[in-house]
Amino acid sequence: MSASIPILKIGANLLATVQIELSDTVSDAFQQDVLTTIEKTGASGLVVDISALDTVDSYVAGMLANTGKMARLMGTETVVVGMRPEVAATLVRMGYMLEGVNTALSLEEGLAHLARTAAKRQGR
Amino acid sequence: MNNAPDYMTILKIDNRELKSRLAFFELTDEDFARLASLRDFANKYTHEITEALYDLILGHPETKPFFPDENTVHHVKGRQNAYFLGLFSGKCDLGYVENRLKVGAVHEDIGMPPKWYLGAYRRYLSLIYDRLIKEPRSPKELSDSFGSIKKLIFFDMSFAIDTYIAANLQTLGRHQAAIRELSTPVIKVYDRVLLLPIVGTVDTQRAQQIMEAVLTRVVQDQAMVIILDIAGVPVVDTKVADHLIKTTAAVRLLGAQTILTGISAMVARTVVQLGVDITMMHTRTRLADGITLALDMVGKRISDKDPLKDAATN
Amino acid sequence: MPIHMPSSEPIKIKIDTEDDIVSVRQRVRSLAQESGFDPFAIAAITTSASELSRNVWRHATSGMAEIQVLREGERIGLQLEVSDQGPGIADLQRALAGGYSTVKSLGLGLSGTRRLVDEFHIDTAPGRGTKVTIRKWKRGF
Repeated sequence: MSASIPILKIGANLLATVQIELSDTVSDAFQQDVLTTIEKTGASGLVVDISALDTVDSYVAGMLANTGKMARLMGTETVVVGMRPEVAATLVRMGYMLEGVNTALSLEEGLAHLARTAAKRQGR
Repeated sequence: MNNAPDYMTILKIDNRELKSRLAFFELTDEDFARLASLRDFANKYTHEITEALYDLILGHPETKPFFPDENTVHHVKGRQNAYFLGLFSGKCDLGYVENRLKVGAVHEDIGMPPKWYLGAYRRYLSLIYDRLIKEPRSPKELSDSFGSIKKLIFFDMSFAIDTYIAANLQTLGRHQAAIRELSTPVIKVYDRVLLLPIVGTVDTQRAQQIMEAVLTRVVQDQAMVIILDIAGVPVVDTKVADHLIKTTAAVRLLGAQTILTGISAMVARTVVQLGVDITMMHTRTRLADGITLALDMVGKRISDKDPLKDAATN
Repeated sequence: MPIHMPSSEPIKIKIDTEDDIVSVRQRVRSLAQESGFDPFAIAAITTSASELSRNVWRHATSGMAEIQVLREGERIGLQLEVSDQGPGIADLQRALAGGYSTVKSLGLGLSGTRRLVDEFHIDTAPGRGTKVTIRKWKRGF
């Protein structure tokens, strides 16, 4: 396994922290790794931490959005956390609003969001 | 002078720039060799020339104040001698340039405007010429010599002026940064709740500054909500609405929410009539309602005190 | 397009492989940082570099990126020129409007980039390849 982006299991959730420069191939491999791991572990939530990224172009933005959609089909809720101010500004200026992607300020907030979603799902 | 800015870096002076400038001022190895051969001349006259130069500077009512006491004058005359001799060193590398940059920096430091040191340079050339023509050399040699001196002095002046301008711009930059900060005063009204009152017209450039200030503060403070109050914005048209929509979208990408307050009846009417859809955003007329909503979002609530149970504070 | 004086030699990077996109991106980023651009401007020009390089890699056999620092009086700017000998863009208006939807769409990348930079110039025609030149100037102070 390429494991260039480590994916950790925290309870019922997965945490993937992106800390390397993303080429298109690495992006694709990451998406593949995430989905395979979801399938293997049956995780109900996924947090993608992009706080180390100072550049998110259309390809990465698309990859994040699609990964969220694919994960949801498998029953997993995704949250992208830690986006930098300059990344958010650039995406929005380009026209990428990433509407379908859940976001949170930090890992803590992200996990809280996943907990709320999981609770709702169980009809509590 | 340990906090002196590094003008070599600020002005991006490297060997390429040096070469380019030497070429434009037509300074060649021949010039430098000629200058080196005049070193004896320089040593002979440096004190005399410096004294005569300072006669002018200390004799003029507007330049005298820059040299208030004997110590300063003595110190400065020493530097002037070193400067003069430097002209005849025969070489011009980055070290030479770095030295010359300091001249302009010093003048900006003491607040002496270019007109005075340009005037001083003029006097300098005159003093050098008067003594040079007395040297036992052929007219052609003397003419070439003065030519080389002139070239190098103008070359030096160009750096002094560069630094003067750069120093001025730095000051201007600090002022502009301060103005920018004052025009986007993001206030923390409660834990994780920010407020930015936007006052005045919002053009594209200002909108960009606002977005950047908002996003930076949201992440810095880890704010869950930011209230943008637009009661002070005179015109809200499609462009302004678009800026607000973009900023809200960007704040959402960070994982936070935006509340727009100060929506007057006129703005509400205009926005809907223009066909701009801001129904997906949290909007209120009164700032107080926006604050209530924001607090609710962070799990807080303002409630009335029970006059019997809650003791008065203070 | 107005001519601005370069202040240094242009940095040329070929765009043949996918990794070259990353190379161009990294070079633009470091140059922007060295030139003292603020983080928002750095993100804008770096992302633009990525978008333009990817267009070349995707739609043309190979291409070239030329990065240059510009000086105009006291203003400092960064210029990126991305060119290729590819098929050229047939309907430029549509591509710039963002409505181009071929497989691996070209549109949003170009129109998006345009909004991130101060100057944007494109020279293209079917069979003539494409050259995109963008410039970002350091904000006032």
